[in-house]
Amino acid sequence: MSLALSLFTIVCVSLGAVFFLAGTLGLLRFPDTLTRLHALTKADNLGLGLVVLGLLPQVDWPLGALKLIAVWLLALLAGATVGQVLGSAVRPPPVSGAGESTP
Amino acid sequence: MTASALVRGTAFFGCWLLLTHFGTGADLAADLLVGLASAAAATWVSLRLLPSAPGRVRYGALGRLLWRFLWQSIVAGIDVARRAFAPRLSLQPGYLVFPVRIPPGPGRALFGAFTSLVPGTLPVGSGPTAGGRAALVYHCLDLRQPVAAGLARDQALMIEAYGEDETDD
Repeated sequence: MSLALSLFTIVCVSLGAVFFLAGTLGLLRFPDTLTRLHALTKADNLGLGLVVLGLLPQVDWPLGALKLIAVWLLALLAGATVGQVLGSAVRPPPVSGAGESTP
Repeated sequence: MTASALVRGTAFFGCWLLLTHFGTGADLAADLLVGLASAAAATWVSLRLLPSAPGRVRYGALGRLLWRFLWQSIVAGIDVARRAFAPRLSLQPGYLVFPVRIPPGPGRALFGAFTSLVPGTLPVGSGPTAGGRAALVYHCLDLRQPVAAGLARDQALMIEAYGEDETDD
């Protein structure tokens, strides 16, 4: 049983690391600030979620687990908020507003 | 007002207990004092920024909203990771003006936060549509994706969950 849980932890945390790597790769490869923000907010949230999920069987229940989940939720909230604020800070002058437009 | 202050204060104090691992410090009374003061300050700020409003929450719709949120954030992470790892970048970034029906205030802020985590969209501001309706401006990673349809579904679910009325502003 503990072997299965350890395997679960290894798989989840490794997958989480892959998403963190993807976020960083996006940060380096994507063409501009806004597309880089996409990469960071989305990939890292999922990466952190997977790391938290993987660590859940290794911490004491229920307090340690709740704390891990709280950390994930706080990071999610911070990511969503900061992403929007940074996005509006770097947005070029107002778009035409005629539906869709490309920069 | 008093009731919501009590509920929020208790929740903040609970968060504080959880995050500080209460009971492991040397001076329990001092820890408790700091925690109570922090919870009171957090409650005061929260009531100022987000006054309690009468309104009913439909828990069924809220559940579906949370489920969609969880699922969409997984899809979003995989989508971005796939693009980041692809040998040739496949992006078609651009802006989308999405007419929003949720009135300005906490509801719209929540919608902005929610939609910043769904695939391919990032709210970057607000502005009127060509027809003069209230709208949120989204930066999209790939305009070839059905972004507007997804946003419309998110909005419909959120209105259903919180029972916010359509506005004409």
